[in-house]
Amino acid sequence: MEEQTRSTVVADTPVGRRVGWEPYALGVAGWLVPGLGHLLQRKLDRAVVFFVSILALAGLGLAMGGRLFSWELGNIFHLLGFLGNLGAGLVFFGAKLAGLGTGDLSRALGDYGTTFFLTAGLLNVLTALDAYDIAVGKKG
Amino acid sequence: MVAGLVDALVLTHFQALSVFAFFVSLVFAFLTKQRMGARARYFIWSFLAFLLVGLALGWLMYPFPR
Repeated sequence: MEEQTRSTVVADTPVGRRVGWEPYALGVAGWLVPGLGHLLQRKLDRAVVFFVSILALAGLGLAMGGRLFSWELGNIFHLLGFLGNLGAGLVFFGAKLAGLGTGDLSRALGDYGTTFFLTAGLLNVLTALDAYDIAVGKKG
Repeated sequence: MVAGLVDALVLTHFQALSVFAFFVSLVFAFLTKQRMGARARYFIWSFLAFLLVGLALGWLMYPFPR
């Protein structure tokens, strides 16, 4: 009886608590490194897919000559673009530190690259929120 | 090195659309579905929908070059 109660409690405990991480910490980890929030919760398939896909989109975006936005309060479009880029976490900071993302708008592909990187950032925010939801038990 | 990569990476509009649709559909499928069968079906549906809508919008905008 006691064993059954213990197993029921374990089954009802969100994964985030079971693996010893706070849900918000898993969300932040997922934001910093795509898929890390899922990896820490032993969701290996999702972690690999998110890591590969988001890095591929961000890397292709930079290789296409995409532009990374900067913090500019006076321009709402640049500000929104910066927030979208920021969603990519350490990938964004690494690219900025490496001096990448200066933009090559002389051809259409550069414009596409900007969109690729923005999409990578926004998808990464969604995956980080997904990691949080799993940790608090809203998702399986 | 990056400059060389940028010069080397030349994609047509359709190739860029296909690569974009592939990765976004993959992430959406794993975010929204739990079982592999459902993920595969959602991925194929989303990927084809991206291509179809992209082609349809391109076709609609064809008479308006600027």
